[in-house]
Amino acid sequence: MKILVADDSRVMRQIVIRTLRQADFGDHEIIEAPDGAAAFETVGAEKPDLVLSDWNMPGMTGIELLRALRAGGNEVPFGFITSESSEEMAKMATDAGALFLIVKPFTADIFREQLGSLLG
Amino acid sequence: MTVDVLPTAVDLDGIAEQVWVAFLDGGNELVIHSGQSDDSSELSASVGIVGTYDGHVVVSCTEAASRDVASALFAMPADEVTEDEVGDALGELANVLGGNVKSMLPAPSTMSLPIVAKTQHQHFPGTTEVCRTMVTWRGNPFNVALLVSRNN
Repeated sequence: MKILVADDSRVMRQIVIRTLRQADFGDHEIIEAPDGAAAFETVGAEKPDLVLSDWNMPGMTGIELLRALRAGGNEVPFGFITSESSEEMAKMATDAGALFLIVKPFTADIFREQLGSLLG
Repeated sequence: MTVDVLPTAVDLDGIAEQVWVAFLDGGNELVIHSGQSDDSSELSASVGIVGTYDGHVVVSCTEAASRDVASALFAMPADEVTEDEVGDALGELANVLGGNVKSMLPAPSTMSLPIVAKTQHQHFPGTTEVCRTMVTWRGNPFNVALLVSRNN
C-alpha cells in the first residue's frame, strides 16, 4: 500500500514514518507532503491508499484537505495525527469522513491499534 | 470571559513527561521539577491559543539543549543538525505540548503554528503565568509555561 504523510513539520513527518516502521508497517511505500495544498495535489497524482495528515498546517489545514478531497469525490481512507484533540475536533473529523484521530505524542502500539485493520 | 478551571503545574508535569517519554527519552534520565524554572534559556518556542481561552504555551532551553532535541527527533548526531532543523524540532515540541495543554482548556479555541525565537528574554505583553514546570533531560533544563492573557 501507498501511505501519504502530510505535516508541515519535517521532523514530525520523520517521527510518523519512524513509528510506522516500529509498528511493523515499514514495508509499505511512504510518500510525504509538507502542507495541505501539496497533499491535495499528491493525492491526485500519486493515488495513495491511506492519508495520515496533521490538522494544523499553514495554507490548507488538514480538515480543509479532507473536505476538499471528499467534495471532489475522492474517498481515500484518511486519518488525522494531531497534537490537538477535543470532542469538537473529533466530531468535525468524523463528520468530514476521517477514520480516526491519533493524538501526539503517539507510540507504535497506538499506530498498531489504529492502523492494523487498514494495513494488515 | 473568565475561565474558572485552569491546568496546574501537576497537569503540565504529566503532559511534559508524556511528550518526553514518547518522543525524546531515548533511555536518558528524565526529571520533572514541578513549579520550577531555570534562567539559562537562549531559545524559546511558543504556540498561541485564541478563543474562550487566550494565552500561550512556551518551552525554552539553551542552544545546546535545543540541538539535543533536534538530534533525538531527527535521529542524527547533534553536531550535524542545522539551524532549520533545530527550529523545526523545538517548534514541534511546543506544538505537541501546546496541543495537549489546549485539550485541558475551555473550548472553543484555536492554536497557532509554533514560533521559535533565539532570545533569552521573549516577552508576551499582557499575559500572566498560570503554571510552569521544568524538565531536566540529558542534564539540560527545559522550561515549560502556560500563560494567560490578562483580558481573559
